[in-house]
Amino acid sequence: MEAMVGTQPQPVTIAFDVMGTDHGPAEVVRGAAMLSLESPHIHTLLVGDRTLIDEALAETKHNGERISVQHAADFVGMDEKPGEALARKPNASVAVAARLVKEGEADALVSAGNTGAGVLACARHFQLIPGVRRAALATVYPTRSVRGAKEDPFSLILDVGATVEATADDLVTFAVMGSAYARIISKNERPKVALLSNGVEPQKGPPRVVEAHARLSEMADINFIGNVEGIDIPKGTADVIVTDGFVGNVCLKMLEGVHDTVVELAQYAYKESLRWRAGLAMLSSGIQRIKDITDWNQYGGAPILGFDKIFIKAHGRSKSRAIANAGKVAAKVVANNLGHAIREGLKK
Amino acid sequence: MSLPDRIDPRPPRRIYRWDLDKTYLQTDFDSLRDLLRTAFQKAHEKVAVPGASALIRELSEQGDSRLCIVSGSPKQMRAVLEEKLKLDGVKWDEFVLKDNVGNLLRGRFRALRGQVGYKLPAILESRVHAPVEAEEVLFGDDAEADAFIYSLFADLIAGRVDERVLSQVLEAGGVYPDDAERVRAAWKKIPVSDPVRRIFIHLDRLTPPAQFSAYGPRVVPIFNYFQAALVLLADGHLTAPQVLKIAVEMVQTAGHNIITLSNSFQDLLRRGLPLQQAAIALSQALEGPNKLLAAMRPMPDILSAFSKRLAALGTPPPPPPVQAVDYVKLIHHALPRNHKARTKPAQ
Repeated sequence: MEAMVGTQPQPVTIAFDVMGTDHGPAEVVRGAAMLSLESPHIHTLLVGDRTLIDEALAETKHNGERISVQHAADFVGMDEKPGEALARKPNASVAVAARLVKEGEADALVSAGNTGAGVLACARHFQLIPGVRRAALATVYPTRSVRGAKEDPFSLILDVGATVEATADDLVTFAVMGSAYARIISKNERPKVALLSNGVEPQKGPPRVVEAHARLSEMADINFIGNVEGIDIPKGTADVIVTDGFVGNVCLKMLEGVHDTVVELAQYAYKESLRWRAGLAMLSSGIQRIKDITDWNQYGGAPILGFDKIFIKAHGRSKSRAIANAGKVAAKVVANNLGHAIREGLKK
Repeated sequence: MSLPDRIDPRPPRRIYRWDLDKTYLQTDFDSLRDLLRTAFQKAHEKVAVPGASALIRELSEQGDSRLCIVSGSPKQMRAVLEEKLKLDGVKWDEFVLKDNVGNLLRGRFRALRGQVGYKLPAILESRVHAPVEAEEVLFGDDAEADAFIYSLFADLIAGRVDERVLSQVLEAGGVYPDDAERVRAAWKKIPVSDPVRRIFIHLDRLTPPAQFSAYGPRVVPIFNYFQAALVLLADGHLTAPQVLKIAVEMVQTAGHNIITLSNSFQDLLRRGLPLQQAAIALSQALEGPNKLLAAMRPMPDILSAFSKRLAALGTPPPPPPVQAVDYVKLIHHALPRNHKARTKPAQ
């Protein structure tokens, strides 16, 4: 349920780290401009090189009443080591944006830049929610099933890289946070939560997974369906899959690799044989539908869960549509007070 | 040429020229249905752009100004438009409407939608009667040709456009010979001076501001009339308490808030408009005799937000350069757009 004041959604300000993305600052500015036209209640605070931002903004259709700019002279590049870069550049755009969120100038942060720098900047400026030991980087992926009132084809997997070695406590916390997020974003009242393991039996997996399984089984507020295997990820057996950052990251990269390989194979087939080309043409509407469903531009970004403030990490290759959608996701999370939902979940 | 609507014996020190549709009034006429609905609207159903009537009222408070309205609406709408202006407390000195029935009966189809052949002679003829020292501020919108026509008007009377360029523009603009002759005749009667201080373009279609940069810094695209009020404060046409009144009205009646107003302020700063002194004047207006305004939340908060927005930019950007306007090159801005072009979103 979106928070409303009368019939109007509450105004929300989203800080965008404009710098350090694969497509350059202008693409993020265009995304924010799109957001200013589509969502009257969302205000954007663009953080980065003011000259570049202003040049891009002046050429783009936007609503100037809903956009402000904070100049930040530096930024962290994709290939830089996050810790070293932030130490050398305390006024890097992502650090300035995180500070502004902390100070209440914005309600959430969206960045398509260096993921590590984003997480580190948040860790320095935001507070972990009481009961959360480590934050989790979540991501969504397309599945065969749909879920929730919105018939969302995406499932959530966490952690995919923030906490390489998670304890049983961490896994339980991730389950609570993922469940709260899915409830809010997918409008799914009872999201199915599962642990990723090497078998569905409760005793399968390393000790931390077995212990987390036992504890989650006793939590009435979590719709825990037990363990799932890798094969269940694309099937959509669970709405939220919980794992540690090491395994999650391997899974995520494999899913991306499979998607890219399928696309390359289709392109190869199209060039190689007239018969295959005809076959692909006959399947074109279906292929388009699959492309629409699996297009990460549509879902915008993935959250870092566990902090008292919201950070949505957009893909580094995000174009304007994905940036705008990441802003909408951030606004929705803020409006529905995800932090409160997580705190309440952890109390139980 | 219509006679003045209000007799004021004092020579005006300032002239404010306003367009109506999409500049003063929130009007949709991008489709036939919109056009019909607009034509049959009653006065009380018409809605002014937030802050427009407050701005006009505050500008007229000076007492030695004239309000001249030139609208592309047909003459048949005079009664309903006048009633609407009266409802809003707006008093005008000239009110010119377009003779579209006359154009139709005379087979002047280009004149039905053309703006250059209508507005340019109308405002030049109005200027003929103005004192040479009277300053002008013009208000238009981004739906048609206002930035082009107003700039050409300013540069014609300032002597920056010659006869050859004017002829090229009138020909390319499809202006009928009799209207072209009216332009030349009025122009010759006006003593050379440089009275146009600002041209405000209300971004009804949210056209990217850079599309107006070819007209130089005199043309200021605005997202709302609070922005116009800030620039007019900096230009000395309004006082800080008057700007605060306009802001308060926009907050109380049009859903504006601390964020939209401070963003509007910063938007102008980023475009190089020197508003730092205006911000200081607004702060000072909240002290001493204007405590009433200070009590009207959220004005103090808004001014605090202004300071933050100002600081956020670091060193202020340089003002945009003054440049000669190439009217022959820009004439396509002034040609009537077809339906597809009108409805296509600007990039």
